[in-house]
Amino acid sequence: MSENHKETFITKYIFCQDHKMIAKQFLITGMLMGIVGMVMSLLFRLQLSNPGESFAILEWFLGEKWAPDGVLDPNMYLSLVTMHGTILVFWVLTAGLTGTFANFLIPLQIGARDMASGFINMLSYWFFFAATMVMIFSLFVETGPASAGWTIYPPLSALPEAIPGSGLGQDLWLVGMALFIVSSLLGGLNYIVTVLNLRTIGMSMMRLPLTIWALFITAIIGVLSFPVLLSCALLLIFDRSFGTSFYLSDIIINGEALHHTGGSPILFEHLFWFLGHPEVYIILLPALGMVSEVISVNSRKPIFGYKAMVYALMAIAFLSFIVWGHHMFVTGMDPFLGSVFTFTTLLIAIPSGVKVFNYLTTLWKGSIRFTPAMLFAIGFVSTFITGGLTGLILGDSALDINVHDTYFVVGHFHIVMGVSAIYGMFAGVYHWFPKMYGRMMNKKLGYIHFWITFISAYGVFFPMHFLGLAGLPRRYYTNSEFPMFDNLTDINDIITFFAILGGLIQLIFVFNFFYSIFRGRKAEKNPWKSNTLEWTTPIERIHGNWPGEIPSVHRWAYDYSKPGADDDFIVQDVPLKEGETEH
Amino acid sequence: MNKNRTSKQLLIIGIVGIIMFFAGLTSAYVVRKAEGNWLEFVMPSWFMLSTIAIIISSILLWISVKRVKADKSSFIFIFITLLLGIFFSYSQIQGWQQLVSEGIYLTGEGSNPSGSFLYVITLLHLLHLAGGLITLCVSTINAKKGKYTSSNYLGIELTSIYWHFLGVLWIYLFLFFKYI
Amino acid sequence: MTNILIIVVILLIVITLVQLLRVGDLLSEIKNVDNNKVTDKDNNTQAFLFFMIGGVIYLALVIWQIKYWGIHILPPASSVHGETIDSLMSVTMALILIVFFITQPFLAWFTYRYRRSKNKTALHYAHNNKLEMIWTIVPTVVLSGIILYGLSVWNKITMSDYSESTVIELYAKQFNWTARYSGKDNNLGKSNFRLVKGANILGVDMEDTFSKDDKITNEVHLVVNKPVLLKFRSQDVIHSAFLPHFRVQMNCVPGMTTQFAFTPNKTTSEMKTQEGEDFEYNLLCNKICGVAHYNMKMKFIVETQEEYDAWLASKADLSEKLITSK
Repeated sequence: MSENHKETFITKYIFCQDHKMIAKQFLITGMLMGIVGMVMSLLFRLQLSNPGESFAILEWFLGEKWAPDGVLDPNMYLSLVTMHGTILVFWVLTAGLTGTFANFLIPLQIGARDMASGFINMLSYWFFFAATMVMIFSLFVETGPASAGWTIYPPLSALPEAIPGSGLGQDLWLVGMALFIVSSLLGGLNYIVTVLNLRTIGMSMMRLPLTIWALFITAIIGVLSFPVLLSCALLLIFDRSFGTSFYLSDIIINGEALHHTGGSPILFEHLFWFLGHPEVYIILLPALGMVSEVISVNSRKPIFGYKAMVYALMAIAFLSFIVWGHHMFVTGMDPFLGSVFTFTTLLIAIPSGVKVFNYLTTLWKGSIRFTPAMLFAIGFVSTFITGGLTGLILGDSALDINVHDTYFVVGHFHIVMGVSAIYGMFAGVYHWFPKMYGRMMNKKLGYIHFWITFISAYGVFFPMHFLGLAGLPRRYYTNSEFPMFDNLTDINDIITFFAILGGLIQLIFVFNFFYSIFRGRKAEKNPWKSNTLEWTTPIERIHGNWPGEIPSVHRWAYDYSKPGADDDFIVQDVPLKEGETEH
Repeated sequence: MNKNRTSKQLLIIGIVGIIMFFAGLTSAYVVRKAEGNWLEFVMPSWFMLSTIAIIISSILLWISVKRVKADKSSFIFIFITLLLGIFFSYSQIQGWQQLVSEGIYLTGEGSNPSGSFLYVITLLHLLHLAGGLITLCVSTINAKKGKYTSSNYLGIELTSIYWHFLGVLWIYLFLFFKYI
Repeated sequence: MTNILIIVVILLIVITLVQLLRVGDLLSEIKNVDNNKVTDKDNNTQAFLFFMIGGVIYLALVIWQIKYWGIHILPPASSVHGETIDSLMSVTMALILIVFFITQPFLAWFTYRYRRSKNKTALHYAHNNKLEMIWTIVPTVVLSGIILYGLSVWNKITMSDYSESTVIELYAKQFNWTARYSGKDNNLGKSNFRLVKGANILGVDMEDTFSKDDKITNEVHLVVNKPVLLKFRSQDVIHSAFLPHFRVQMNCVPGMTTQFAFTPNKTTSEMKTQEGEDFEYNLLCNKICGVAHYNMKMKFIVETQEEYDAWLASKADLSEKLITSK
């Protein structure tokens, strides 16, 4: 039964409890923040490849204080780098990815009217919104936004005397992140409980689409890891504002010896990376799940090795908790620990590899339809292979000695997160847009968006591996102080060129997205001829999702091109025919 | 949708999150302690009173829920639970003052991480307990209004799950600080 | 004024795009064709594009980059352990390049070969446990090999016997490095951050007998083929001592002392002959530490024993340099 209740503008769009609207709130906030983060990267790339040069656009964006005479201030450089990382990792790739698709797809794909608690779901978005406001506000404070890197290691992040951004900017960053963590946790509660309890009749766990498995496991990872970041941040707040010595010891800053003794910055790193590493899998897993869906639907084939894919997701999730030390190989920790973390880190390659091989086999002997979503899904596989392989070098402690904190790392994590995971997100948006808005996105603009992004992304991040192997450190305002890097300027110029090209082309996507909401071609109910339940709902979208009874499920989600079937797809709610066996 | 079941699960998973939060803090404590420069001291005696108070409050709350399920009045039991919760908060503050008078400080000259951790962790527990106090207030008022019956007791049940959790968490922290 | 102009131009571009799209939609309505549907032509074009761009051109460019940019990477290591790292790196790189050049062509080929075309249906092939076993077990075996190799290199590096090493301290602060040689007793004197005052920039405890023969320098000279143990301290925030040519990196953390032992095996003059007269061994900071993080440098010079002795002799002992204050 659809829930008919009188809706005002406020209850329909603002304090909405319908999961589909909340999903869109996350998506649009994430997209807008993505633009902000992307512009930041273009600003600092300008400085990097043209050190000390004057750019009017820098002064236009940053004002006379932070870009005097058009030259980027070094403190603001570090702020831009910090906020770019923070915004993209958390606002776009976590909230924008999970917040959108977990909210949108979970009830629809499992056959539920809405999440277990619409109220908690709504709170989850509004905490996110509050976090966003705090972060945005922090960009405008006088001493500048946080600037100790998105990883905010103390003492740099604890002492305003060490860097101006560690003043009010860092306080606001911490508050914003605390609100963000609460938002994530509230969301995660719903995702887990909804998947466990609200599946429709016949929807057993092993009939769930892989997207749901991925989102479900992601939520579990989040509940277990985000609270530790909160405790980590809280201890930092105490050190900053209440003079405790959890992380600080033996410091002289600005000629003054501080009273702190007994603290350990390494303790911070342990606590931070205990979240930090699972966080990147919180980013990756939803993309893996959605790509499984998009590849399968557009190849007209079942995803190859469904069970193996589920177990691989679980293995990756489990392993993600025991590898955090690979971010700390050069901190001077006990070498034995270094060995342990090398071992566990390289193990993660195994389930990741299984997933890649399964994607390839899904494509094999398929009948591939090239929607923009499918292109991004295939692009995901390409970049996941590339980025994943360089992880084998970084995960090896002995090799990490010379590439830690160089551009080799920057190249690696951008290719797996900033490219792969974003491709997963794009694939998701293009693929589920008809269900979200009842209209189709423009295909040609989608193709242009894909190709220019694909070329630019590789153009920006692949060369970085060479910069890293040349010894170029990250987070350097300019590379011109060490003659050993003088011959790298050509590579840097190419990177900046593709960064600008790739960054600007995203505007085509934004344009396509908003244009199509209002003027896109009206969509039919199941434009991709997909098996999953969300495509059985009416195209107009109603509260409670289905006008009558919720469909019961009789089969798994991957009966594509099944021999003996009338069509090359069989929706999950179609009962088995006489003599038909289930997969 | 079975609202009873889903509400309880939502609460329990939230509790798992809170457990991970305190797991992070207590791991930090263990790691830091192993590095030395650790001032040993005795737990304030007020914390023993805290422990007793919270155990009794849980027992009373458990009795309350049993009575509600049997359609008996529970107001007085819940009310006393609330009072004990308030006493718990009072005893925590007294405990901290006891620490200060013994020269164990949160911060500043003469402070040591061992003290800082105790203050911060017990403070955070108290903040979570504040949430528990609010739900206890609501439950007390509802009980007075006669809202809880054998067929409608989700609110008091959720309150009691959370409150028992806070009690167990306190006992864990108390024993942790005493023996680790 | 320019700002308004910019905003107007952007608005005009957006409006143009909108109108273009609407014209396209109207045209297709007139022709009664859905121009937004993915056609066979699209499948052919996109599949071909992916095969070429995501396959052929991508792989060709990777090879091009390796050839033309590979020359920019660091020269072979100038230390004993560094050579073992370089070997491990070559083996691991070879492995990942092999996997890369097998999987990417498969991806590009399958994408093209299995593009949708009329009358060809997809094969309903849902699982094959044998295949899963193969591509679980083979990577596990290969990775185990790499892990064991990597760990043996790591153990040799971190658990080497450095009892014969010359001990040198590197002190990091915003925004420079200072070195302290331990002198003839090969023992660094104790230090305490509260003793940093005036000329005692490292806070050395002059009451400690070991401190007397320590020497403070702003350059590091090392003897070729002689093992050295670097000890690291920091005054304010986390820094990281990065000596890329020696394959040495270690964080400098306030409140603790970290260390790294290695043996340089190529002199600076050898490297100048090899890499050009401008070559220098550099110490860089490699952990974000503040506004001048990009400009924390110190020169390292590897030379013969005689050159080293002459240089070190010219540096004053701390006992001469600092007057012990009561």
